[in-house]
Amino acid sequence: MVKVEDIQQCAAGLLEKGQVKSVLGFRRGTAGAMAEPCTITEAAEAGTLVWDPTCLNNLALYLVKDRKQQAASKTPDIRPIGIVAKGCDSRAVAVLLQENYFKREEVFVIGVSCEGTGVIDPKKVATLLKGRSPSRVEFDGADGFKLTLRGGEMQVPAREILADRCLECRAASPALNDVVFGEPSGERGYATPFHAAKEALGASETERWAAWEHHFDRCLRCFACRSVCPMCYCPECVVDSTSFVIEPQTSAEEKANRIKWCERSPNTSESAVYHLTRAIHLAGRCVDCGECERVCPVNIPLRLLNTMLEMEAFEMFHYQAGHDLSQASLLSSFRDEDPNSFIR
Amino acid sequence: MSNPSQTTATAPTAPQEHEPRIVAFQCKWCTSAGSDLAGVSRIQYPANAVPIQVMCSGMVSPMYVLSAFNKGADGVLVSGCHPGDCHYMKGNFFARRKLYLVQKLLQFIGLESDRFRMSWISAAEGTKYAQVISDFVRDMKALGPQRKLKAKR
Amino acid sequence: MTKKRTGVFVCHCGNNIAATVDVKRLAEEMTDEETVVYSQDYVYMCSDPGQNSVIQAIKDNQLDSVVVSCCSPNLHEKTFRDNAERAGISGFTCEIANIREQCAWVHKNREEATEKAIKISRSAIRRVAHNKALDPIAVPVTRRVMVIGGGIAGIQAALDVANAGLEVILVEKLATIGGHMLQLSETFPTLDCSQCILSPKMVEVSRHPNIKLMTYSEVQDVSGSVGNFRVKVLQKPTYVDPEACKLCDDCVQVCPVVVPNEHDLGLTARRAIHIPFAQAIPASYTLDVDACLGLNPIRCGKCKDVCEAGAINYDMQPRTVFEEVGAIIVATGFDLYGQENLGEYGAGKVEDVLDGLQFERLCSASGATKGHVLRPSDHKVPKEVVFIQCVGSRDPAQHCAYCSKICCMYTAKHARLYKHHVPDGRAYVFYIDIRSGGKGYEEFVQRTMEDDETIYLRGRVSKLHRTRDGKVRVLGTDTLTGQNVEIDADMVVLALAMQPSKGTEQAAKVLKIGRDKDGFLAEAHPKLKPVESVTAGIYLAGAAQGPKDIPETVSQASAAACKVLALLSQDTLSHAPTVAKVRESHCTGCEMCVDACPYQAIRLLNGKAVVNEVLCEGCGTCAGTCVRAAIDVKNVTQLQIHAMISAIMGG
Repeated sequence: MVKVEDIQQCAAGLLEKGQVKSVLGFRRGTAGAMAEPCTITEAAEAGTLVWDPTCLNNLALYLVKDRKQQAASKTPDIRPIGIVAKGCDSRAVAVLLQENYFKREEVFVIGVSCEGTGVIDPKKVATLLKGRSPSRVEFDGADGFKLTLRGGEMQVPAREILADRCLECRAASPALNDVVFGEPSGERGYATPFHAAKEALGASETERWAAWEHHFDRCLRCFACRSVCPMCYCPECVVDSTSFVIEPQTSAEEKANRIKWCERSPNTSESAVYHLTRAIHLAGRCVDCGECERVCPVNIPLRLLNTMLEMEAFEMFHYQAGHDLSQASLLSSFRDEDPNSFIR
Repeated sequence: MSNPSQTTATAPTAPQEHEPRIVAFQCKWCTSAGSDLAGVSRIQYPANAVPIQVMCSGMVSPMYVLSAFNKGADGVLVSGCHPGDCHYMKGNFFARRKLYLVQKLLQFIGLESDRFRMSWISAAEGTKYAQVISDFVRDMKALGPQRKLKAKR
Repeated sequence: MTKKRTGVFVCHCGNNIAATVDVKRLAEEMTDEETVVYSQDYVYMCSDPGQNSVIQAIKDNQLDSVVVSCCSPNLHEKTFRDNAERAGISGFTCEIANIREQCAWVHKNREEATEKAIKISRSAIRRVAHNKALDPIAVPVTRRVMVIGGGIAGIQAALDVANAGLEVILVEKLATIGGHMLQLSETFPTLDCSQCILSPKMVEVSRHPNIKLMTYSEVQDVSGSVGNFRVKVLQKPTYVDPEACKLCDDCVQVCPVVVPNEHDLGLTARRAIHIPFAQAIPASYTLDVDACLGLNPIRCGKCKDVCEAGAINYDMQPRTVFEEVGAIIVATGFDLYGQENLGEYGAGKVEDVLDGLQFERLCSASGATKGHVLRPSDHKVPKEVVFIQCVGSRDPAQHCAYCSKICCMYTAKHARLYKHHVPDGRAYVFYIDIRSGGKGYEEFVQRTMEDDETIYLRGRVSKLHRTRDGKVRVLGTDTLTGQNVEIDADMVVLALAMQPSKGTEQAAKVLKIGRDKDGFLAEAHPKLKPVESVTAGIYLAGAAQGPKDIPETVSQASAAACKVLALLSQDTLSHAPTVAKVRESHCTGCEMCVDACPYQAIRLLNGKAVVNEVLCEGCGTCAGTCVRAAIDVKNVTQLQIHAMISAIMGG
C-alpha cells in the first residue's frame, strides 16, 4: 500500500532542499470526496497532499501550463517541478520529454503505483450509490475500495467502480520516475487491453455510425477535451482559430491565409472533423489517461477514438506511447514490414 | 424536330444515377506519371476523379483526407510509388503508416470502409491507374452519396 | 495584400484536347475566378506564336501569375516557366493544369471531360494564387570526386575524371585495387591476358598526380548533398609502412600462420602477413589481423623481428578521414552467388566442383597451378570437364530470377582455355540457350563449338555427386535429343550467377541510394538515366548496377565520369527553391519532422526546426508528419492543397 506520508515527506524534502520550485500533487477538494490538483511551493504545505482513488487528474497538464507560462514570462523560472504521477501520467511526461517539450532534468517524477487498482469513475460511483455521494474513498487492500458514506462504510470490489482506462491498464506503475512509491504492477486482468475499442468494433458499420453520429451531433465544441489533454499543447490548434498565435512577426498575409479545415459551428460534420483530427494527431502520443472522456460534458466516449488507434499502433506497429524515450514517434517512423495489404 | 415539352416528359421518373466525386492525391513521380501514361495509351476511365498532384504521398496530411470528405467527396484516393520505389526513398512508408491509421479511424466511426483508398501505382502502370479509378467510381456509385462527413452548409 | 493577377492560357493541342474538352467554355469560365484577369485559348500554346502570346499577355496585362491548361507538366512546365521568366516574372508563379493526359485523352464524354478540365484548371488557379516568386538556390560545388570501388569500373572512372583535371579519391576496401578482373586469366572474345591489360591502368592510378588512393578503406558515412558531400572514410591499419617496405618477402617466410588465399579463391594458401599478389597496388604487404597470432612480440612477433627495413609497426591504428567531394561514383562490383545455396550441386562440398573464378585461377599463369589445368583433389590433369551455365541464374523459384549475362561467354571461354591446355580432353557445356550478343561474341562461341570441339548439351543438370572412383557424376538431360545424360567428369565448373557484392549493400545503405529487387544499385531511370542514382550527385558504374562484362563496365564507368565532369564543370549548382519552410510560431521542436526527413535536412536550433535548404528535396514528408502544420513546402503548402480541394469540390 502506498503511504501518503511517503509522498508528503518526499515533496517536503524536495522543496526544502530547493531541488524543485514546486510540487504538483493532489489535495482534499471541495466537491465531496474528490481530490483536486494543487501546486505546493513550501515544504510546510506538503501535509495537505493526499493520495486516494479520487486523484483522477493527469497532472502532466500543469507541467505544460507552466512551460507556456514561463515561455511568455519576461523572467522565466525554469527550475525543476516535482509531479505526483500515476502510471499513465508518467507516460504523459515521457511523451512530452520525447517531444522535447522540456528537459528531463526540469521535472522530478514522484511516481505512485496504482498497484492492484486505480482511480474511480465518479459516474460509476454515482450509479452504484444511486446518486448519493461518498464523503471519502480509500484504497482497501489489493483490489478493493472503501467508501465512507453518511450511513457508514462500504467495501466495493475495485472492478465495479474503476475508471474504464484503469480496467484496461497495462502499466499501472510509472516506468519513468525519480522515485516510486507502492508495489510495481503491470496488467491486472480486469479487462483485456483495448477491451472497449474491440467491443465497439464488434458492432456493424451502420451501428457504429449511428453511435458516432449521435456523439458528434451532441458535441458542443467546448474544447474541454483539448484543454485537459497534456498532449494538446500546440500553440494553435489546426482545427480552430481561437488559439491562433499572433506575434509581432505574424504577417497580414499569414493572418488572412489561415486554413479553415472545418467550421466552428458545432455541426455533426464539423465536430466529426474536429474529433477525428484530434484522434489522429494523438496517434502514438495518447497515453490513455482518460481525461478527455472524463471532462466531456455530453459524455462522448472520446477514449475510444484514441485507444482504437493505440491498439492499432500496438498490434500493427509494436508501438506504445511513452514507453521508450529514445524511439522516434509513431508517425515519424516506419518499419518495412508495416501492413501493406490494405493498399491496392 | 425536337419538342422541348416532349423531352422533359420522357426522362423525369428514372432516378438519376449518382455521379460520385472523387479526389485523387497522387505523387508527382510515380502515380502522376502513371496517369500520364494512361493518357498517352488512351486508356479510357470515368471522369469522376480529379487529381491533385503532390510531391510525395508522404506529404499527404490526414487533414487533406478529412477535408475532402468534409467538402463532399464520395471517395478519397491517395496513391504513391510502390514500397522501395519512392523518389524520396521513404516518404511512402510514412504515408502508409499514417494513412493506415486514418483508414482504421474512418472505419471505426462507421464511414463506409471503401471510401478511403490507398494504392501504389508506378509510372509504368497506366493500366493499373485506369483500373483503380474505374473500380473506385463503380464502387462509389454503388455506395451512393457520402453524407456522413459532408458539411451541411 | 494586393490581389493576384492571374492569366489563364488554354491549349487546344490541335485537336488532342479540343476534341474532347470545350476549350472555349473552359477559357471563358475561368474568368469567373476572382484572381483571373486574363484568359485565352490557342491551338498550340507551345508553338512559337503560342509562347509569344503568353509572354505578351503577361506584359500587357501586368500578370503576376500564370496557369497553362495543356499537357502534362513533365512536357512543358519548363517551357512556360521560361516564358514567364522572359516576360519578367518568376517562373515559379507559373503552374500547369494537366488537361490532356489526365483528362482529354482518357475521357470520351465531352460534357464530363470539360467539367473535369474546369475543376483541374480551377484548382491550379487557386493554387497559383498562393505561389511565391521564388529564386533558385545557388549552391557552391566542391570540385573533387570520390570513386568507391577499385575494380575495373572504379579504375576507369577515376582515370577519366583525373585526366580531365579533377582531383579523385579512389576508395577500395581490399588492400589492393584490381578487383575481380585481376583474377581472370584471359578475357573474351579476344583471349588477351587480363592482367596484361589491367596492370598498366593500375600503375597509372598509383602514379596519377590527381588520384589519391585509399586502399584497405571503407566509406562509413556520407552527409551533405550534390556538389558538397562530406564522406567519412575508415582506413584500416595494414601494420606495414608501404614507404619503408622493400618487398623482400622475408616476413612471409617466417610467418607461422597459414590461411586460404582469397585472391586464388582458396585454391592456394597465404600467410597472415602477405601481399595479395605480385602486382598489387599499392605494392606493399598487409598483416591480416584476424589471422595473426596477436600483433604482440610476446605472442609471435617474428615478422617484425625479421624485417630489416623496420616497415612493420604493430601499433598502427585505424584512421578516420573526412573527405569533401562534389560527386560520388559507386563501383562496388559483384560477388558470385554462393555455392552453398546450391544443394542440387553439392552445396560447395563436392570436391573438384569449382566456380568460374576458381577455374580462372587454375588457368592463370600466376594462379594456383602456375597455369596448368590440374584438378584440386589430386593434381591430375582432368580429361573430362563439365561446364554448367545458368547456375543460380534464371531460376525465380529457387535462386536469382535474372540472367547474369556474362556466363554464356565466359563458359565458352573456359571451354576453349581448357581445350588449349588439355587438347586431348573433352569439354561439355550444359546450357539453356546461348546469349552471345556483342561484338565478336557469337563468332567466339561458334569457334568454341567448331574449332575447339566443345560438346554443347541443351539442358539443365539436375544433380551431381562424387563417385567412389574419384569422379564427379553429372546427371542431366539433353533436351534436344530428349535423352538423359550421365557424365563421369573429372571436374565440374559452375557458371554461378553474379550478384551485387556485400560492399554494394553496405554502400547503398551508407549513401542512402536505392537498390532494385535483386539488390543491384537502382539507376534513376532504366533507359534515360542509366548511370545516375536516384540521389543527385551519386553515379553508378559496373556490376554493382547489374550484371555486365568488361567492355560494358568500362563504357559505363566512362559515362559516369562524363556525367560527373558535366556536373562539376560549373562553379555553382542551382537547387530548386521549392523546399520546406518552418512556421516558427507554430513549431514546438518535437522533432517529428527531423525523424521523418529522408534527407536529414532538418535539425533543431534553439528549440525550433530549421531546414537546410540545400539538402531539402521538397518532398514534404515533414509537412505530412507535423501535427501542428508548422512546416510546409513552398508553393505546395497546406493552404494551397486546401484551396485545391475546395476548388475541386466546388467550394
